[in-house]
Amino acid sequence: MELFVQLLANTLQIGAVYVLFALGLTLIFGVMKIVNFAHGAFFTAAALIVTSMVPFATVELGVPLWAGYLLAAFAAIAVVLSIGALVYSIGFQHVLKDLNGSFILSIGLLLILNGAYLAIYGGAPRSVPQVLPGTVNVFGATLTAQRLALVIVAAVVTGGLYLLIERTRLGLALRAVAMDQEAAMLQGIPYRRVALYGFLIGAALAACAGVLMAPINAVTPVSGDEFLIKAFIIIIIGGLGSVTGAIIGGLFIAMVESVGGYFFDPSTATLAMFILVIGFLLVRPQGILGNVE
Amino acid sequence: MNIGKCTRPLGAATLMLLLAQAGAAQETLKLGISAPMSGSAATWGLGMEWAAEQAAEHVNEDGGVTVDGKTYNFEVVTYDNKYSATEGARNAQTMLNRDGVKFIAGSIGTAPVRAMQALTERNGVILFNTAWGKSVKGPQFRYTFTQMNTPFEILEPFYSFIKEQHPDLETAVLISPNDATGQELEPVAVETWKSLGVEMLASDWYERGTTEFQPIATKIASLDPGLVDFSAAPPTDVGSILKELDVLGWEGVKVMTAGTSVEALMAVAGDAAEGAYLGASADFSSDSATEVQKKLNAGAREALGEPLNGITISSYDAILALRAAMQEADSVDPEKIKDVLPSVRFDSSYGPSGFGGADVYDYPQQMLIPVIVTQVVDGKAVELTRSNPAELEALSND
Repeated sequence: MELFVQLLANTLQIGAVYVLFALGLTLIFGVMKIVNFAHGAFFTAAALIVTSMVPFATVELGVPLWAGYLLAAFAAIAVVLSIGALVYSIGFQHVLKDLNGSFILSIGLLLILNGAYLAIYGGAPRSVPQVLPGTVNVFGATLTAQRLALVIVAAVVTGGLYLLIERTRLGLALRAVAMDQEAAMLQGIPYRRVALYGFLIGAALAACAGVLMAPINAVTPVSGDEFLIKAFIIIIIGGLGSVTGAIIGGLFIAMVESVGGYFFDPSTATLAMFILVIGFLLVRPQGILGNVE
Repeated sequence: MNIGKCTRPLGAATLMLLLAQAGAAQETLKLGISAPMSGSAATWGLGMEWAAEQAAEHVNEDGGVTVDGKTYNFEVVTYDNKYSATEGARNAQTMLNRDGVKFIAGSIGTAPVRAMQALTERNGVILFNTAWGKSVKGPQFRYTFTQMNTPFEILEPFYSFIKEQHPDLETAVLISPNDATGQELEPVAVETWKSLGVEMLASDWYERGTTEFQPIATKIASLDPGLVDFSAAPPTDVGSILKELDVLGWEGVKVMTAGTSVEALMAVAGDAAEGAYLGASADFSSDSATEVQKKLNAGAREALGEPLNGITISSYDAILALRAAMQEADSVDPEKIKDVLPSVRFDSSYGPSGFGGADVYDYPQQMLIPVIVTQVVDGKAVELTRSNPAELEALSND
């Protein structure tokens, strides 16, 4: 029994970040109808900024670690939002609903940003001290306090996003644009502005994931790439453009990784994910909750 | 007319200047490095590049390499191979075809090295490497030379020493990166542990680039082995697994066969790395280190923030071997140098050295250096023991 609780805890820990990351990617696709290959670069930017800001805040400014981390988190999200606004205005707003154009643009942007991170931070792995040290035991499963906090924050952010989309005017506009852009515009919804908001929310979600991961894993200038591949798998399985699908897909992939990694090994679990994607593309290409277009 | 009078001498002068520069450029030999400069193994690439630059600087300050009446200086050019075969092949293309590199002073990773060999052997380019796979060696690869100890030199003395320290050790789990390096190391590791009476409970694989290690840590903890061998995993990945194992309460012997950078390990694992045995690290600040190694180590600490290890210092030794071979052959022709290298004697950073390993690889292309076992004690690599291969002993006694 304890083993299954531990595997469930592992699933939630891994899935929490996957969900946040994939939500941003699927939201951008839903609203803008583009696939953003540079999404992982937003995640990486936030994580890297945290790795440099935390030592600065704690050593230079003399603030406690938790305060330094919070300061770094806000700074990281602000920087990512600025980068997001810049690349949207320079590039993405010109390729809305253009899969080919957005593909080329986002791949180019990914190369530029990865190159910039490498030049600024170097290639060596960077780490941040654990903000919440110690371990906790939840129904027999052992996990670090840091991981538990990550799961809680990720759940709160996901819940907040769900409420924003379901209960606010902006959410209504996002959903309307995702369903039928032309019909939404006929109803007076400013498509370009809504697309910008959707893009920025997506970038902020990637930044949140990066901020939460920084104290847990080593951070490198290519950290986001691994998450991007997983996020594509998640949104293909969950359904492109579906927020609920991204949540289900994220937790499902985390479960495959957790259970497969335990009963077989991590390599087999990774292989299983790709086989699952192939299976979905063959049998149900729209994913679990996606719409056929 | 006046313009012509002015431009002709100016053109001639420019041409002469260009020719002079071309002449000067011919006296600089580019030495390539193809190593991971980003990702979890970046500490290896960054250190290797730095050590190569120190060796090149040392050779140049000594007046360069004079062969056949001509003096050559060394210049290091580095490319990020991201520990992948694709990037290894791309680097080889760029080095050979664009930069005209004839000597590669360091290359990390069996898969990238294999990819490079396809070009270097065909084009007659000397390829020094740290690949742990046996498949990159043999009489068919006469331009390829290994510049550090590999599992076939390390495992037997390394594992035997650990077993001596922990005679009650009965069970182990092996976790290997799922690439050419891991695949070639795994059967040798399993067999060696078996020969020492240690039962292998599981031998699992993970993909390089993996970020989540809780599932494998959960599995290891539930198997509760006496020892976990992290095979060819880089320090950052090992650190992540050790941290998760620590959370799950596993306590046992930690073995990093490819264990090198204690700083990178500690940065991720913290106290969870304490006591880990390292097979490819070294304490180059200890009394057993040579003066050259102490100086290099101190420089690396200052420049990179961490000391050198068995992998990173290897480019320094490769360049010294190359210089000796050039002088011995009285040529910079790789064709002649590859014939001289198997029998050349040179002063490596460890002391007198040469190449051997014909008994294992059917061709003497393995650099002869001591096998050093270290352990993480108070966050630092402390040397526990060292042993010289028989061929190195014989060479030293000559």
